[in-house]
Amino acid sequence: MTRRLGPALYAVPGIAFLAVFFLYPVLRLLALSLQAEGTGEFTLGHYQHALGTEVYLRVLGITFTIAAETTLGALLLGYPLAHWLARLPEARRGWLVMLVMIPFWTSYLVKTFAWMITLDQNGVMNRMLLATGAVDTPLEVLHGRIGVMIGMVHAMLPLAVLTMLPVMVAVDRQLPRAAGTLGAPPGQVFWRVQFHLSLPGLAAAGLLVFITSLGFFITPALLGGPRDTMLAQLVISQVQEMMNWGLAGALAVMMLAAALVTCWVYDRLFGLSTVSGQASAKPRRGQAALRTAGLSILSAVAAAHVALGSAMARLVGRRVLGWLLPAYAALVLLFLGAPTLVVVPMGFTDSSFLGFPPPGYSLRWFEVYFGSPLWLGATLRSFIVAFGTACLATLLGGLAALALARSQSRWQGAIFALFLAPMIVPRIVVALALFYLFAQLGLVATEAGLVLGHAVLALPFTFVTMAAVLKGYDWRLDQAAATLGATRFRILTQVTVPLLKGGLVAAFLFAFITSFDDLTVALFVSGGVTTTLPKQMWDDMILQLNPTLAAVSVVVFVLVTALLVTAERLRKPKG
Amino acid sequence: MDRRTFLRAGTLGLAAPALIAERSQAQTRSITVADPGGPFGEAFGKAFYRPFEQATGIRVVNVARPAEPTAQFRAMVETKSYTWDCCILTLSARDIMVKQNLLEPIGLKPEDAPGMMPEALTPFWMGTDVYATILAVRTDKLGGPAPESWADLWNVAKFPGRRSLRKDPIDTLEEALLADGVPLADLYPLDLDRAFRSLDKIKPHVAAWWTGGAQATQMLQSGEVAMIPTWNGRVQPVIDAGGPVKIVWNQGLYSIEGWSIPRGSPRADAARQFIRFCSEPARQAVYTEGLSYGPTNLKAYDTIPEARAKLLPTHPENLKLMRLANEEWWSANRAAAAERFNAWVLR
Repeated sequence: MTRRLGPALYAVPGIAFLAVFFLYPVLRLLALSLQAEGTGEFTLGHYQHALGTEVYLRVLGITFTIAAETTLGALLLGYPLAHWLARLPEARRGWLVMLVMIPFWTSYLVKTFAWMITLDQNGVMNRMLLATGAVDTPLEVLHGRIGVMIGMVHAMLPLAVLTMLPVMVAVDRQLPRAAGTLGAPPGQVFWRVQFHLSLPGLAAAGLLVFITSLGFFITPALLGGPRDTMLAQLVISQVQEMMNWGLAGALAVMMLAAALVTCWVYDRLFGLSTVSGQASAKPRRGQAALRTAGLSILSAVAAAHVALGSAMARLVGRRVLGWLLPAYAALVLLFLGAPTLVVVPMGFTDSSFLGFPPPGYSLRWFEVYFGSPLWLGATLRSFIVAFGTACLATLLGGLAALALARSQSRWQGAIFALFLAPMIVPRIVVALALFYLFAQLGLVATEAGLVLGHAVLALPFTFVTMAAVLKGYDWRLDQAAATLGATRFRILTQVTVPLLKGGLVAAFLFAFITSFDDLTVALFVSGGVTTTLPKQMWDDMILQLNPTLAAVSVVVFVLVTALLVTAERLRKPKG
Repeated sequence: MDRRTFLRAGTLGLAAPALIAERSQAQTRSITVADPGGPFGEAFGKAFYRPFEQATGIRVVNVARPAEPTAQFRAMVETKSYTWDCCILTLSARDIMVKQNLLEPIGLKPEDAPGMMPEALTPFWMGTDVYATILAVRTDKLGGPAPESWADLWNVAKFPGRRSLRKDPIDTLEEALLADGVPLADLYPLDLDRAFRSLDKIKPHVAAWWTGGAQATQMLQSGEVAMIPTWNGRVQPVIDAGGPVKIVWNQGLYSIEGWSIPRGSPRADAARQFIRFCSEPARQAVYTEGLSYGPTNLKAYDTIPEARAKLLPTHPENLKLMRLANEEWWSANRAAAAERFNAWVLR
């Protein structure tokens, strides 16, 4: 019995963690949506109001549209880059992946303002376009959907690329070679072997990006136009400005329901199992047909690619064609690094405002930073909390993903939904719910409270990333080790974990950055007492955009780069 | 009887009718106060926190609160976990919290604070600073004469230039009505139908809608827009840095922020003592060196240099051009107005 349950037990710690720190507090809060304000009597009034007022459904529609567009953009830009990176030698790939991660290390607040400064009427982009005579009047990029897309796709690209990459790297390199040997042209090899085998990564990336995008609100508010309102913004305003928690709860439930429906549709179309690792377990009726249809689409695309490819080759030559992918990848990398290229010089400005290029250079903002115990304390605390969060979330999420990949429980769908849920519930609801729980447990304004709260937010990322990697994992290696007499623990530490290194690193990084960039939970759980870096930046922006923000970004960037370079050096045996 | 004991005895006398936490008061060695953060922490530190510590021996730890800390406040009171003993609230946050019975009486009467603006003192709250929503104009980006009123902002033919409005019904509805000819004195109750008809006229000419104060400052500073209604405190740093920016005080709407105490705080008496300290005109005058907000105790102007004084919202010359935004109307109508505004802006 225990033998059969064995792998499923790995999910227990994660489930217990979510039950205590997510399900219980959040459900308690969402229950307010069924109570009348003041009397506490049961009512469906909040739901009737939310569904009966046109504006909420419209904003829900806008939220889903923006999330879908962001997903499409991030995959279109990210897939070729990931594909190119996956085929590089490991050492070079390691360094280039660091370029992909650059946007991670600049707070999303700073990144968004960097885009504002770059793209506005008097920004660098428009000044260059006007100077070269490419346009007569400045382009209106901001204050509309294009601005939102630039900001959001940029923010989501690293997540997309780093989710796909471990899956692509794990594709057996011999397979494309074998296909080639058997006479398949490159187009056929790509679509029918490499693309096909990378689908779990693509599916996982799409899902993560889509659901994360649903919760965005600051980027659309700053870069978008009047019609780019996200639901999270309305939930926050109901919680903080109107104090109508019932309606806020109803809106949050509405968003949750819509997201779950999306997951269900997605499951019908692609199978959530493509992500969780049980594609071939029990093909549903109709799924076989769908799969056949999918495969024939792939072969049609492959044939078209081959035809187009040879035509293009005749037109421009094979050499030029071979440069296409690296050039595309380089452009995407440039896009990823653009805000950082703007932020770094701004940190050295001598002006009291953020502007690019700076009117003059000085170290005054670094002096402000290094002279402030508040800033230094916040920086240190952010690193410690993010590290703690990453350890906890990777452990819990990794074990749960392992359980899902190794067991065939009918509860799989439910477990999957549970682990994704913290991503779908608006962050302010999670933050508020945690405040009540932590107040009872005495965890308000403690680092432990921040770690626990951030781990709730980070679990979906570590879970999905690990699930996608485990999908491609060859379990026969574990069996081989077991046959040779290794204990289960030994198999885990000496076979499974080393082979899953890429996925583990990605999961760890996602969790780290989730914590490092979180403002909402910090606003509640810290009580302003245990200040983290994003909280401190937020406070500093009260009256004006202070260049200290840029100086801090430079410091964090240098610190993280140093850490990563050291890690990269240590990782490889000295030769 | 030394000075410290004397002061403490004084506070106890003040709170005598309540006499809630006499014992804890005797032990209070520090209080945590939540201000808007950033430059506020610095300016209030010099004006209030450090002098209060010297006067009473009670340490003041200041933390930054979010813009609308209503949720934190309610959670704090309901769970009795008092992270803050005292917090700066806007009028709207104050009214919500009074309605939900989340505040502690501050025990300060008008006769205790001579010079205080009457609207800055209520049983649960004492205003510390006045801010104003005004029209900020970037003089070098105008295509014609400089606007002097909301009607001018609406008049795109005579006053060409890029405009931004706030993506929020608060202030924006008032501006729309003033632009349409409603006199400042007769603004409330707001005529919503008329306000939205007026907004319909300006909507096609709005280049950008702003949502946060830092964004408004940035757009003004970079010259992204030429005209923008925003808070005077956000504009002053641009002017101080030599930016070609002008404030139009005419038809401005002012409002007040101030201290409140979460109900049931064990250190409420020390907090009351602190709030009373913040009502003193000499103390309020000090923060205006670093913040361009108006003292609520108008006697503060006795010691503020005239050059600085005329930049502040409560300077008599500025104050007479403006009116207090009517919080009572907003408390009653905000939810409905916000829904209508959000629907309108999406169209």
